Amino acid sequence: MTESLFLFASIADVPIAVRASEVEAVVRLGDIVPIPLVQAHVRGLAALRSRVLTVIDMEARIFGKGGLDGSASLAIVADIAAHSYGFLVDSVSDICLAPEEAQPVHGRIDPVWAPYASGIVEREGRSHLLVTLSDFAVPPGNGTLAA
Amino acid sequence: MDEILGEFIAETLETLETLSSEVVAWEADPTDQSRLDAFFRFFHTVKGSCGFLNLPRFERLAHGAEEALAAVRRGERSADPATVSAVLAVMDRIGALARDLGGDETIPESDDDALLDALLASTSRPETFEPAPETCDDILMPETADTRGYHAEAPEEAGPAHSKSGGRAPRTIRLPLALIDQLMSGISDMVLARNDLARRLRERPIEPELEGSFERLSANVADLRDMISKTRMQRVDRLYAALPRMVRDLSQELGKKATLDLDGGEVEMDREMIEMVLDPLTHIVRNALDHGIETPAERRAAGKPEVGALQIIARQSGNQIVIEVQDDGRGIDRAALVAKAITAKLLTPAEAAQISDTETLNLIFRAGLSTAARVTSISGRGVGMDVVRTNIEQIGGIITIASVPGRGTTITLRVPLTLTIIPGLIVRSDTHFFAIPRNNVVELLHQTSAMVSIEEVGGARIATIRGKRHAFIDLEEVLKLGRAKSVDGPRILMVIRSPAGQPYVLGVQAVESNEELVIRPAPPAVTAAGVFAGMTLPDNGQPMLLLDAAGLAHVAQLPLREAEASQRPAASVAETVAEPTMQALMFRERDGTHRLVPLAVVDRVEDITANEIALCGTAAFVRIEDRLVPALNAQPVDDGSLKSLRLNAGEEQLCYLIADVIDILDVPQAVDAAVAGGRLAGLVMVGETQIEMLDPFALFAEAHAQNAIARAGEPIRCLIPDEDDAWMRNILAPLLIQAGHEVQFGPVGEQDTAHVILRTDVDAAETGDDAGTIPVITLREDAVPTATARETVYRYDRAQIFAAIAQATRRVA
Repeated sequence: MTESLFLFASIADVPIAVRASEVEAVVRLGDIVPIPLVQAHVRGLAALRSRVLTVIDMEARIFGKGGLDGSASLAIVADIAAHSYGFLVDSVSDICLAPEEAQPVHGRIDPVWAPYASGIVEREGRSHLLVTLSDFAVPPGNGTLAA
Repeated sequence: MDEILGEFIAETLETLETLSSEVVAWEADPTDQSRLDAFFRFFHTVKGSCGFLNLPRFERLAHGAEEALAAVRRGERSADPATVSAVLAVMDRIGALARDLGGDETIPESDDDALLDALLASTSRPETFEPAPETCDDILMPETADTRGYHAEAPEEAGPAHSKSGGRAPRTIRLPLALIDQLMSGISDMVLARNDLARRLRERPIEPELEGSFERLSANVADLRDMISKTRMQRVDRLYAALPRMVRDLSQELGKKATLDLDGGEVEMDREMIEMVLDPLTHIVRNALDHGIETPAERRAAGKPEVGALQIIARQSGNQIVIEVQDDGRGIDRAALVAKAITAKLLTPAEAAQISDTETLNLIFRAGLSTAARVTSISGRGVGMDVVRTNIEQIGGIITIASVPGRGTTITLRVPLTLTIIPGLIVRSDTHFFAIPRNNVVELLHQTSAMVSIEEVGGARIATIRGKRHAFIDLEEVLKLGRAKSVDGPRILMVIRSPAGQPYVLGVQAVESNEELVIRPAPPAVTAAGVFAGMTLPDNGQPMLLLDAAGLAHVAQLPLREAEASQRPAASVAETVAEPTMQALMFRERDGTHRLVPLAVVDRVEDITANEIALCGTAAFVRIEDRLVPALNAQPVDDGSLKSLRLNAGEEQLCYLIADVIDILDVPQAVDAAVAGGRLAGLVMVGETQIEMLDPFALFAEAHAQNAIARAGEPIRCLIPDEDDAWMRNILAPLLIQAGHEVQFGPVGEQDTAHVILRTDVDAAETGDDAGTIPVITLREDAVPTATARETVYRYDRAQIFAAIAQATRRVA
């Protein structure tokens, strides 16, 4: 069984795993400039040196509302389709090797997570939902996530 | 080895791009030895490199083409179309193979044989296959200074008409684009660091030496940024490179003849912009060939040269690049276009009858329209010009079309010089900052400016600036930001022009600064809002969104350009003006108020003296060219000089008397506030004041009604002093009675109730002007007034007599 690198983090106390190949960096963002007229999960813009990140609140995206409070600033930076994004997470625990193939999700998963969780990644005996960052970047209702 | 292979691929592809236009030029002029040499050298280089890199397929193809060209060089065969096509096919295959070297797709090798066969088939003399000895000598050492030099300068001379300039071309090197992009973002980082440093320096006590060094650093960084920006620029030649080949292939396929004239290839444009314009331009050229240029037979029949002329001109105009595509073909068939639009339900027949020529031509940019009678492989699938326009407008460009039937069509593209660095204004709304392209901003005004007035009509807000009315929206409102009450000061109004609609006024709290902004595309989650065109990081390091002028108008539901045509039917048909605005005459009423009247109904403006005004009961007339025209506003007839607006409604005319004419203005056809009844149609905003607009319909109706009651009004008592005058008694009196007047006879003084006295000039000579307060009309016998008879009326001029009577009674009243 081949192993690959995963980034382990948590959103709304749910442990998640992201393929490290998707991740460029994890940073603490400075000021986030809000954007009017966009969906609530698009938190705003943040500058990372000379780049402009579009900050996505993953929790708001998953649950459709609420989300992190304004002080949240830990973000996973990733380039998706030539745009730079920062995905806000509660915490990041580790980057380490885990078996390449994700396990199927056993048991009934909360429906709000269903469109995002593609499997389970095990780390130190704990299960993490495997998510794909690009799923959070496309506007809801577009592409594969016709929910 | 990989590095060399990579370089080989890059060079080969680049040279191919350059050469494709040369081939066509060569076909046009097969005797041009220098071009032949260029191809020869290309194949020769490829062949040599292939031997070195062990690429036998390339070698075989290049060898075949080289052989054929060598034969042409030796004069053993001519550069006929078959040969050129075969050579082009081999060039294409080499290009395809070179691209494939990078990937893993493969073209079956057996296909090469067909190409080589074609090359042979077009060869009339089989002996040309013999290897030409002079070309084989240096196969193993191709990378000589000569060929290196050629490749290095190749991008600099892509124009087909360009002759080779040997080794004197400026020295260039090849760099990966990614490196330039990295340089660019590196310099952006540097600018931000400098700005941060500047902020920190400002917080400290001033240290002149430190400031000095910082200034120097600052200037260097700015210079560097300018230079790096220039690396993004490329010559328009690159845009042109593929066109000659395409025109050649297409015209062959279509059985047409066309020359392509490219001008302005030295103009420089942003690399990304070139990419964005390439597809639209290609499409326009295809259209011009397919639909514009006629077949040689048709052209002969139309008395034009058999060969169509297609011309593309690029030039820089300010911070825009203008690209014009002209053909001398048949032009756009308006009737067919309109018919198509009606079939496609884009237009109703009634609308079609009213749209202007420009609007008709612009139909071509509507989705689902194509005038192509049949669908060809080249164009005419109904996807086309609408996509072209969308693409051009997406990059902030404008596309316009002009076409003369039978003479040709010109399509003009205007695109910004660069996509990524644009001058922008930074506007603020409370704590939010946004950028807006300066191109979109026509002017800035303070809300308190005397030139501006804002009013609210039925929920729509209208800003009137120097007499022009604009839809008015507040940025906060469109963006649903909620206006901070605490900062309600005078706001800034921006007149915004957007490619997709009418100009409108955008109110913002403040305009902060004016900067050159590096624009990056915004991600889909942000563009979904519909009002943002991109994002930017200005010098203060705060990320900011770039507003999309057309998007704002759309979100605010302002009328778009497409709505022009659909608005028209709503305009009054009675008014003879077809534009959404109409001209109106502003005048001063006799009581001093300013009013408007639609200019279309004003036939002429005339100076009227009081004695040309005739009152007849409650009705009034103005005597014009021996005719009495119903007049409105005739009372009181006291001032010496008046003006009359002669209003014309076909057969009917009326005079509207005014004090003076002020101006002619453009006003909207629909009044801002309609008033029911009376002479007024409603209020129109002009400048800072609202002005009443007369309703011509009501005026004519009033004149008509007056005519009817003119006879029913109080009769005018006419006194004829000389009851013994047979003419007076038997001719004039019945006429007056017939007209509804009362006639009395008797000496003056006894009949004080008379309104007017009628007498002959003979009486006048006897009695003099002693008629007292009663006006006197003196009738003369001669048609031409004599010197002695002042203010007399010829007695057989019925109209003048009545007018004089009416006028005289007016004086009394």
